[in-house]
Amino acid sequence: MEEGMELNAHEYKRATILGVVGRVDSATWSELDSALQAIIDQGQKHIILDLAGVEFLSSSGLRVLVTTMKELRKVGGEMVLAAASDRASDSINIAGLDVLFRSFPSREEAIASF
Amino acid sequence: MSLRQIRVPGRLDQIEVLCVAVDDCAREAGFDDRTRYACQLAVGEACENIVKHGYGPMRRGEILLVARASPGEIQLELRDSAPPFNPSSLPPDQPWTEDNPPVGGLGLQIMHRVMDEVSYRRRLGQNRLQMRKRLVRKPRRA
Repeated sequence: MEEGMELNAHEYKRATILGVVGRVDSATWSELDSALQAIIDQGQKHIILDLAGVEFLSSSGLRVLVTTMKELRKVGGEMVLAAASDRASDSINIAGLDVLFRSFPSREEAIASF
Repeated sequence: MSLRQIRVPGRLDQIEVLCVAVDDCAREAGFDDRTRYACQLAVGEACENIVKHGYGPMRRGEILLVARASPGEIQLELRDSAPPFNPSSLPPDQPWTEDNPPVGGLGLQIMHRVMDEVSYRRRLGQNRLQMRKRLVRKPRRA
């Protein structure tokens, strides 16, 4: 059985990229939430969430995406998605949240959007 | 038809065990990768509700998955001994905007959107949630 979740962050001038690998579910969502909050606390308004390595994305994870987006929008910022795996995309689409996020096939295209 | 029964402690870290079992069941039924994942997602949401809202932090209990696979169809039943809770009714669609997107109720929405049938009964002190998913057959060309 796969291990939980791994996160890796890279800061750029235009945005911070947070890569997510593994399962984002009821057991791991709080780690993702904390990582995103830490980026926001550092003053970054633009976040790119790289979902290429996501193997499972449950409603707990989706809630983190939604609340983070809401918080960023309040300060004129945004979170976009990059390279979402089929599974991540399916979770987002099934929940009807695809209209909420701009999504790009690669990190580079996501960075260029800001 | 194949039948598998798996019992796990009602804890969040055990949900993945049941998701793997559902994946196996859906694979036997001939479902493709994406449909299998959707089934895992739906069952995961149902289990999360059982653990968080059914048992809660103060209760201990188990979740039993009864999974049946036949060509093109899976039938799943989740049994738990938490207080009565019926998730078979889809919560009313709450209109939302991009400025005020939904935060709650996503799990139930996912479950109902994935599964073709969701039903519930309370029997012998247990909640029994049944879900059924069928393969969508492509129409034959004339």
